[in-house]
Amino acid sequence: MAKHATPLLDELEKGPWPSFVTDLKQQAATKPECWDILGQLELSYKDRITHWKHGGIVGVFGYGGGIVGRYSDVPTRFPGVEHFHTVRIAQPSGLYYSTENLRALMDLWEKYGSGVTNMHGSTGDMIFLGTRTENLEPLFWDLTHDLKQDLGGSGSNLRTPSCCLGNSRCEWACYDAQELCNSLTQRYQDEIHRPAFPYKFKFKFSGCPNDCVAAIARSDFAVIGTWKDNIRIDQAAVQKYIANDPEYPANAGAYKGRDWGKFDIQKEVIKLCPTNCMWMEGNELKIDDSECTRCMHCIMSCRAPFVLERSKALPSASAPRPRSLMAPSSPPWSFRSSKSMPKMISRTSLI
Amino acid sequence: MALSVEELKKAIIEKAKKAPKPQLYIKDFYECDPDSKPRDIKKIANALVTEGELMFWSSGSTTMYARPDRIQNEEK
Repeated sequence: MAKHATPLLDELEKGPWPSFVTDLKQQAATKPECWDILGQLELSYKDRITHWKHGGIVGVFGYGGGIVGRYSDVPTRFPGVEHFHTVRIAQPSGLYYSTENLRALMDLWEKYGSGVTNMHGSTGDMIFLGTRTENLEPLFWDLTHDLKQDLGGSGSNLRTPSCCLGNSRCEWACYDAQELCNSLTQRYQDEIHRPAFPYKFKFKFSGCPNDCVAAIARSDFAVIGTWKDNIRIDQAAVQKYIANDPEYPANAGAYKGRDWGKFDIQKEVIKLCPTNCMWMEGNELKIDDSECTRCMHCIMSCRAPFVLERSKALPSASAPRPRSLMAPSSPPWSFRSSKSMPKMISRTSLI
Repeated sequence: MALSVEELKKAIIEKAKKAPKPQLYIKDFYECDPDSKPRDIKKIANALVTEGELMFWSSGSTTMYARPDRIQNEEK
């Protein structure tokens, strides 16, 4: 039975979409403090002001980040959310988790927190929402000693570096984004956990200009892989695309569920090039590489004709290959043994 | 000439005790010795946190340093 009447929040359950209100009500069956989240939010809707206050002495010993303090400014009415701190858990490179690890993390959060999570924050950390101050040290101990994982960055610290899947799953990675992410995560452990700057600072690593981790948009220090030398073109494959050969579907078949008409290389590739650096000479596709901004639109539209050279810009680079030349995929990593996984450091090794 | 580690520790503690506000940015400690590298000062400030002379205080968006006695009095 509901602890608080929430007529305004109940409106959010009436649409045809998933509702966090429904989810919190379900969660409240085992975690009664979730009723107080709903009650306080209902009050905020009525008062048109937040009833969260944040900041203060919240954290684990020796760390200046990883915990974001949240308190209720109406704790007598909603004692379940008197303390409702956020905990950031550092993510592994490429966000690879084993099911075993995820279960262990969820068990930990059921034990010490509200059970409410946010996967993932914009920096990539797994966010655990809602725990009390006295639970922080025990949670941190279990996290670092039993699961060998660490807190992420928060506040004005260096935020947890993040990267794309890189070579582990993607044909386009021009360098080993996971390795670089891991290296710099280890190098800058102190800056992640203890304040070094007057404001947050973010690293992000994308293996290619597709920029799947939005390094340009969301980081202060973006590393984006690119290829060396000129793009080489397999003209025979270009002809297959122009002829609408079913073996060479546009966009690698991503939109084939609907009839979009005949593939038109002029309309769908050449005219969409932002720098107009491509043209047809008879049956041959030409590129003026000096004008190419490496946006990769042409490569994503019709993949097979383009062959890119290994980048020399960074070590451990791997040559992107056309999809047709890819070997049958098998996971090139295992969860615990991959050198690309961030090696979690416990607090005791840092002090 | 840069101060020694012990001298710098004393200067940082003094600064944290006497500053008008109890919460200080790391860059406020840089003034304790302009000849020392910021990274060295940060390491010493972090060592003082481990020793219990300073503690971290979060504004919610920025993490700062403070003397435990001053900040605990303020929060009361």
